[in-house]
Amino acid sequence: MMQNTEGKKSESETYLRVEKLKTQFFTARGIVKALDEIDLTIRKGEIYGLVGESGCGKSVTAQSIMYLVPDPPGRIVSGKIYVGNVNILTGLEQLAKITVKSETNVKIKRNKRMIKRHNYLLSRIRGDRISMIFQEPTLALNPVIRVGDQIAENILLHLKVDMANAILRREMSTRKDYESFVQKALSIGDKDARNKAIREWCESYSISDAEELVRNIFLTYQDPETVVKSIEFIVNERKSGTNINRLSRAREYYLYQQRLFEATLNLMEAESGKNQDEIDRARTALNEIKKEGSSFLSFRIINKFIGKRIEAPLRDAAKRRVHELLNLVNIAEPERTALSYPHELSGGMQQRVMIAMALASNPQMLIADEPTTALDVTTQAQILDLIRNLNRQMGSSVLFITHDLAVIAQMCNRVGVMYAGNIVEEADVNTIFDNPKHPYTIGLLKALPRADRIAGKMVKLETVAGSVPNLITPPTGCRFHPRCKFKMDICEKKKPELDDLGDGHKVACWLYQEPGGSGK
Amino acid sequence: MELRYFILRRLLLLIPTVLGLSIFMFILIEAVPKAILVTPYINPHSRIPYIIQEANALKILGFNYPPPIAYLFYLDRLLHGNLGLMSMPGYPNSVAAAIVDAFPNTIQLTIFASLLSIAIAIPLGTYIGARPNSIADQAGRVFSLTGYAIPAFWLALMLQIVFGKNILLGNPLGVLPFSGSFSASAIPNPTPSWFVNGITYPTHLVIFDALIHGDFPLFVDALKHIILPVLTLTYGILAGILRFMRAGMVDASNQEYVKTARSKGVPEKLVIKRHIRKNAMIPTITVMGLLVAGLLGGVVLVEYVFAYPGMGYLTTQGILSYQIWLVIGTTLIFGLILVLTNLIVDVVYALTDPRIRY
Repeated sequence: MMQNTEGKKSESETYLRVEKLKTQFFTARGIVKALDEIDLTIRKGEIYGLVGESGCGKSVTAQSIMYLVPDPPGRIVSGKIYVGNVNILTGLEQLAKITVKSETNVKIKRNKRMIKRHNYLLSRIRGDRISMIFQEPTLALNPVIRVGDQIAENILLHLKVDMANAILRREMSTRKDYESFVQKALSIGDKDARNKAIREWCESYSISDAEELVRNIFLTYQDPETVVKSIEFIVNERKSGTNINRLSRAREYYLYQQRLFEATLNLMEAESGKNQDEIDRARTALNEIKKEGSSFLSFRIINKFIGKRIEAPLRDAAKRRVHELLNLVNIAEPERTALSYPHELSGGMQQRVMIAMALASNPQMLIADEPTTALDVTTQAQILDLIRNLNRQMGSSVLFITHDLAVIAQMCNRVGVMYAGNIVEEADVNTIFDNPKHPYTIGLLKALPRADRIAGKMVKLETVAGSVPNLITPPTGCRFHPRCKFKMDICEKKKPELDDLGDGHKVACWLYQEPGGSGK
Repeated sequence: MELRYFILRRLLLLIPTVLGLSIFMFILIEAVPKAILVTPYINPHSRIPYIIQEANALKILGFNYPPPIAYLFYLDRLLHGNLGLMSMPGYPNSVAAAIVDAFPNTIQLTIFASLLSIAIAIPLGTYIGARPNSIADQAGRVFSLTGYAIPAFWLALMLQIVFGKNILLGNPLGVLPFSGSFSASAIPNPTPSWFVNGITYPTHLVIFDALIHGDFPLFVDALKHIILPVLTLTYGILAGILRFMRAGMVDASNQEYVKTARSKGVPEKLVIKRHIRKNAMIPTITVMGLLVAGLLGGVVLVEYVFAYPGMGYLTTQGILSYQIWLVIGTTLIFGLILVLTNLIVDVVYALTDPRIRY
């Protein structure tokens, strides 16, 4: 909620960049080439739809981006995935050595130390910068943990520093702070701008439950003196008498952990670059930060024993945030819902909880893997509205995966069409529906009943003949050629690249490219 | 709130269960020839003729009435804590008294064995279940299958041979006593007031009584005696719990919610501890209850091999010397323990799995 100011101005910036991502599954019957070097970019604040038949690799794409492909049997073989500026596949080659002797005889030698470090990297990225909503909320929520705790877990993992800052600020605030804020707020004439300032101020003092109260105070009283007094009362009421020294020590420790993570990340990036100088520099930097760690020894020992008590104010703040989030996803009784177990909620409620969980730590990227497939139509509409509104409010990007073209038309800014592990066409949503280029996209759209085309007449819906190929032995060249009406000789021999036809409309089809060069 | 009512209801359900148990015991009694039933009630040295004594005994026991009425007599005796009479040298005449002396020893073995096996099996199962098909996992599987396959009495004999004092001459491992609950040589001299006829007071457990009265050497000696029987019992249930824990962990790690947890950025250690293990515990607790209840069967054999004076030992002695009331009495107590264990398991189950709600 805090970052939405930047959302609009940097609309064309990319947030997620996937380069030549190749995921395979090593099964007893052969290697399933699930993703064949796909490229994907998602800009800040946009909703990108990924559509295709089942089995074409949509979900594998989503899981690959989160590095959640079940291993064994699956592995990301090569590629880069930049989330913001971090490549989450840094050091991918070091994680495991894959020796392919034959299709069915593959030796994978895993490097435990590297995997451990990579998991550490992932645990800092996942949930914090990028999070995911799953297809089946019933299965995706842990049945034995209260939903409130499941959401709070996410907050406590990633927002510790922010929360500690806010609580410390609240506990140590004095009349002067309120006075300067009130002066600033009163000087803002515009009502919306003032409300926004109030919201931000409340958040930064960890009293966001009193946001409405503060807003009303500003509406009721004009006299700055009274306003300051009332705000002082509100803040004092919420001061919890936390042990400030201990909490600030904890905050220092969390900051140290953050520095440690950044240094480790630098080292990993340097190591993948193979520049010895840089590696040495990164390593010394990391060691220096590790040295700092020794001063936290006593804190860590104390934390082992009374960690719960140290974290108690954070837990309180997290609990309040859970209630806010549940409110945000339109759940009527946040306090009660937070205390219930997943099986006590309906499917729609469960999916709302999932969304709240995914949003808990303000990620800038959200992956929704068929979030409405398991829900009935009314609930589906509500959930789609919710995702779209949240995208607008918070300015985070969404990768929206579905097989439902109607949903795509409703939700997305840009669309990628997948077929058998490749993205075959990509364009903004209007272009895809009005001017599809790839034969597969054309086929998909013809299979869809459309009010504007039928116009009262009985029109027989067409189908794309054949079915998705077995990806253990995918067709040579263009993977769509066995089903394609416009098949040419070259299609069997060479794979077409995803080529820009101008205006961001990209197609991977020989109909639109010269075999030698890079398209017309 | 809800849980309290659940426990209350389960407690009320105990009443018909226990009544059913007593009816079943009575059917067993009815199946036995009356002459054997009245044997302990007859004094062979008395001047009163046998036939009159027998008629009197049958009257006292209610067997001159039809079975339903006789059952009420039996129930009446049960409610007064009268489990019948027995005559075995070195034991009291009353079955109830003999059981009161032996019962604590069995409970002690069972509790030590189940606590030890839980303490080992849960962390070990978590560890190997989180690493399926690793070397540790294979070793763990061999270990637990062996535990399944080995009969308790055979394991007991092997442990006695390997660790028992004076069984194999010159065996460096033979340091532990192999039978009884304490050594005669460890009895303090002069015999203290809390030590009567080989029974200690107030708990009847040598280990605890020695501690209570501050007799440290006797405490150590009694502790040594308990090691081998407890180890024997432990291995059996340990194997079962380990297998289920491992299976539960593997099953839970493949669930979708584990993916969710990872997608939230939960560190791997916490994923295992918080998300996987919690779910894996649910099936494990069910088997744990069954296994602990099943321990009572194993305890009979193990106590017999180690000559450990518990309920199992008492029962076998009773069987060998035709003490029908003793056998019926111990069977009833074993049945009661089983029912109570099931109750505890149900409650623990409801506590761990929020979906199970009454």
